[in-house]
Amino acid sequence: MSELRDLVQAAMAAATDGEQVEAYAEEERRTEVSALRGEVEGMTFAESRGVGVRVIRDERLGYAWAADPSADEVRDAVARARENAALAEPDPSNALPEAAPIDPMPELFRAESAGIAVDDKVRTALDLERYTVSRDPRVTKVDLAQVGDQVSRVAIASTTGVDLGYERTDAFVVAVTLAVEGDETQTGFSFAISRGLDQLPWEPIADEAVDRAVQMLGAAKPETSKVPVILDPFAASSFLGVLAGALNADDVLKGRSLFADLVGQEVGSSAFTLIDDGRRADGPGACPFDGEGVASGRTELFTAGVLNGFLHSTYTARRAGDGQRSTGNAKRGGYKSAPGVGTSNFFVEAGDRDVAALLADADGGVLIMDVSGVHSGANPISGEFSVGATGRRIGPGGALGEPLREMTIASTLPEMLQGVRAVGSDLRFFSSVGTPSVLIGEMTLAGV
Amino acid sequence: MLDRDLVTDVLTAARRKGGDVAEVFVEERSSTAIRLDDRRVEELTSGLDRGAGVRVFEGATYGYAYSNRLDRDSLLEAAAAASAALAGDAPGQIVDLTDRTGPGTNRAERDPSTVDAATKVGWLRTVDDVARDVSLEVAQVTGIYFDSLQRRLIATSDGRWVQEDRPRIRLVAQVVAKRGDVIQTGWHGPAACAGVEFLDEHPPEGTGRRAAERAVAMLDSIPAPAGEMAVVVANGCGGVLFHEAVGHPLEADAVDKEASVYRGRIGEQCSSELINGVDDATIPNGWGSYDFDDEGTPAERTVLFTDGVLQGFLQDRMRAARMGADVTGNARRESYAYPPIVRMTNTNILPGASDPDQIVRDTERGIYVTGLGGGQVNPASGDFVFGVSEGYLIEHGEITTPVRGANLIGRAIDVMRSVDAVGSDFETWEGVCGKDGQGAPVGSGSPTLRISKITVGGTGV
Repeated sequence: MSELRDLVQAAMAAATDGEQVEAYAEEERRTEVSALRGEVEGMTFAESRGVGVRVIRDERLGYAWAADPSADEVRDAVARARENAALAEPDPSNALPEAAPIDPMPELFRAESAGIAVDDKVRTALDLERYTVSRDPRVTKVDLAQVGDQVSRVAIASTTGVDLGYERTDAFVVAVTLAVEGDETQTGFSFAISRGLDQLPWEPIADEAVDRAVQMLGAAKPETSKVPVILDPFAASSFLGVLAGALNADDVLKGRSLFADLVGQEVGSSAFTLIDDGRRADGPGACPFDGEGVASGRTELFTAGVLNGFLHSTYTARRAGDGQRSTGNAKRGGYKSAPGVGTSNFFVEAGDRDVAALLADADGGVLIMDVSGVHSGANPISGEFSVGATGRRIGPGGALGEPLREMTIASTLPEMLQGVRAVGSDLRFFSSVGTPSVLIGEMTLAGV
Repeated sequence: MLDRDLVTDVLTAARRKGGDVAEVFVEERSSTAIRLDDRRVEELTSGLDRGAGVRVFEGATYGYAYSNRLDRDSLLEAAAAASAALAGDAPGQIVDLTDRTGPGTNRAERDPSTVDAATKVGWLRTVDDVARDVSLEVAQVTGIYFDSLQRRLIATSDGRWVQEDRPRIRLVAQVVAKRGDVIQTGWHGPAACAGVEFLDEHPPEGTGRRAAERAVAMLDSIPAPAGEMAVVVANGCGGVLFHEAVGHPLEADAVDKEASVYRGRIGEQCSSELINGVDDATIPNGWGSYDFDDEGTPAERTVLFTDGVLQGFLQDRMRAARMGADVTGNARRESYAYPPIVRMTNTNILPGASDPDQIVRDTERGIYVTGLGGGQVNPASGDFVFGVSEGYLIEHGEITTPVRGANLIGRAIDVMRSVDAVGSDFETWEGVCGKDGQGAPVGSGSPTLRISKITVGGTGV
């Protein structure tokens, strides 16, 4: 920790009069182990560190970064960022945040998790794979059985008084199974994350990955129609990323969001409440402060269908004016990029009905279990999407019927949000986005 | 970047438990990124990355460790960590490291680092100006300029010593057009492993204009129909379809894990006999080209289909050894932070004999696809999707109304068998392909193709 702090302080010492300088340093130690056919398939050990520097001079912003720099190289990065700033255009909204008190989140770091021996991780990966292929005669192979964890540390300092640091532990288990019957192969995916591998029961992940593959065997292509749809948490979470793009104040301010003029309006149905909460410690996106040192917060983006506002960084809040403050959503893709606007724990608030109750309400509809092509088939700017999907028919009383493949579902974000009839109680996080099952009144299903 | 004695010591440490091959990959990368948005140059970023990864593998098991510290202690520690994946106790030998030189596939005539940033900013201004001149309905323009120079060293315990520089350059325009409540987007982003001379062929004017024209054209669009119909894929776009539907399932890691629909089918008629397809890393200055892959194997042009008959898979060293096949030079990695995996390079369907205009005229009803947003495939089931960002209805052999919100979905083998026309034209498209958490720059190319029947996922029922 102290080494990281030394690096960011080296940047502070290189600041000159008339400029704001911020340095962000991070380091991580990561281990991943995968197993295949009863043996270790791969082990990866990673150690990395880097520093990114923002310089604002005459309202102009420049950025530079360096991997594992010496103090000299940090000073050089400050100089390069300053040169870059000179070529950018002035923008009065460019400014670093002033230092403000931060409530630490010590629960994000678990010393027990950080201390797990490699041999134990190897054993867990081998156990995961062995268990996964023992559950069903049609599932004798995995595409992936992997566990991993990492310890990361962040330090950030600025000439506006920010001087912060924190550390965290994260772990994941993933299983992708292959179910084979005759000429047909189907895959099943499951995934879970927590603060440490010691807190992550992997049997349910294996069971779910097996179940999701086996269910799809015999899948057929449906007829084209408009039907009620339930998106399970796996499928629904894919859409949250698209929604996040449309709620990012940077895109809103630049005319790239269909929600730009809809604040205060009932954009979605009353069953739909969407929250970003960086202080929710059980979510993977939890963090005490954002990528520029502003305290993480809780922002209710939609309350019972009404759009309240957008996610902001210091830059977008200043640009929006009108008393807008940063929501603590300046996020970085690591030290290699300057902060933009991003999500922390971004989730649909759970309802009070379980999945069985939702299914019973969707007779004649389709349960969507997986969607594909979201990055190419969904447009957060126009709000239109058409994505590939797999799932099952929903019969009378909510009974799950025939598995379905080779179909697409298509709609627009506003129509989908207005069409939300109910959300389930089964909220689940996938990376930093979380959602329960969502029942949507009608969507176009394309098949034959 | 590192001296041979140190590298030999690292390889020796990596083979302390034996293994088939140990390998060191060292990288230094400098990059420049400039973003113009909302009429302003918002951000200039310069980066300096470096690091090294050590891998050792035996059979189907590998260990990989990396660090962005290049001192002796850090490298030896990485070697020790990687070797921990193996169970053996007999140290392996290191063959003398011998220079291999390549043909210089990606020579840059004009190094971007010799061009000042103000000139690069000027290119982005041109993109912005030209795009806004296309129509008053152009509401927003984002221009992104990127260049990088990656210097690589690959050394292996069986004597490979490969040094190669890879220059990259890209200029992207993203345009938003607006008419009332309707917002549409257009994108164009040519790229190459080349120097600044690339922009002579793909000037900023053309990039800005093409993206703006796409966005504006889509303002007139109607929702795409849904259901099965004929689809004509314009030249350039079919390469991405080929990449998703066929390329990924032909990667040997999927085949080896029995997670590919093409496993066991070499020599079979898996596509229409009109399909001749290759993966070719030797195309000069191609976005997916190189002299050597990231295991130090020379680049190849690998024939995948001849008259629709499957010829082979894309291989890296581990899989080729397991499958008793020849390596094809398709091991790639995003950076030193990742072990190499089997990847495509430039994946092309070769031109056929049909007149592309005649292909459209011969189509009674369907969709004409002229822009795409990428796709995704499940190699095991063969199900793939392919996003259409710009498309038009074909009615009675004529290209008519633009359509939006479409996606194509199908099963790889069925769709490739239902290609019933291949044009004589050819165009390429450059993208970044994601797999196992790693991004790889890939090229794809194709002539105009017609698929006799595929599901179009629109909303018009």
